[in-house]
Order: sequence, then structure tokens, then C-alpha cells
Amino acid sequence: MADTILLLAGVLVFFAIVFTVLRLVLGRTVADRIAAVDLLTVISISMIALYAHVGARFIYLDVALVYGVLSFLAVVATARYLERGL
Amino acid sequence: MLELLVFLICGAIMVSGILAVTLKGVLAAAVSGGLATLFAAVCYVLLGAPDVAMTEASIGSGLSTVIFLYAIRRTASTRE
Repeated sequence: MADTILLLAGVLVFFAIVFTVLRLVLGRTVADRIAAVDLLTVISISMIALYAHVGARFIYLDVALVYGVLSFLAVVATARYLERGL
Repeated sequence: MLELLVFLICGAIMVSGILAVTLKGVLAAAVSGGLATLFAAVCYVLLGAPDVAMTEASIGSGLSTVIFLYAIRRTASTRE
């Protein structure tokens, strides 16, 4: 049962990355691409947490924590740039 | 499942790099370049180097994108 749920989570992460990269490639405006990048950071955090459980290496949860703290910085900086700030 | 995810991440790194080279807009190219380093950090985690991944995520994806945006702001004559 647990293996089935983990496999389903892996498949969901796979298709999430595929469709978000598709949005990144096809994105017409810059805001579409920035939203795709922000979504890809969230998907990456979920992938690291999933691998921490699958590989039984729980130190990777700390990596996911630092990743979540730091990875929104580029998105915030780009949003400030679009608002003529920075 | 691990090999599949590593191959997927490597393909995403290649797509991001090709986008960073071929996109017309400078801002979108800078964002795509930051995205390539972000996927590289995930690839480092999956291959078993979490400290390298933490450094790559903080410096490569965060700081270099901010510096790129600052340079674009200081040098661009028109928007985009």
C-alpha cells in the first residue's frame, strides 16, 4: 500500500515537471515563465522530500528546508524587477 | 525510480540551458539560466551530495539571478 502511494507520488512529480517545463517553453510573457519557475521550485522541494523517504536518508529533509527558505529569492527579485524596483 | 528522476532532471537542465541561449528577452534568459542551476541542485541531491546542493541552490539559483537582474537594470537602455 505504501509502495503504491510512493510510486503514485513519483509519477505525479514526473508529470508535474513535464507540464511545468512545457509551460516554461511555451510561455508567451515573462510572468508566465516566472510562475513556472516558482512552481518548479515547489516541485523540486517535494521531490527532495519524497527521495528522503524513499532512500531513508532523513538528512535530506534539512536540505529541502534550506532549499525552501532560499529558492524564492530569485522569484521575488524578478518580481521586484518587473515592478521597476530592485 | 531514481534513475528515471535523474534522467528527467538532466533533460530539464538541457531544456533550461537551450532556452537560456535561444530566448530573445534578456530577463527570460536570466530566469532560465537560474532555473538550470536549480535543477542541478536537485540532481546533486538525488546523486547523494546534499551539502553541494545546498550551496548550489543558495548561490547559483538565488544570488546569481539577483546579480544578473541588477546588471540588466544597470545596463539596459530599453525594457526587455
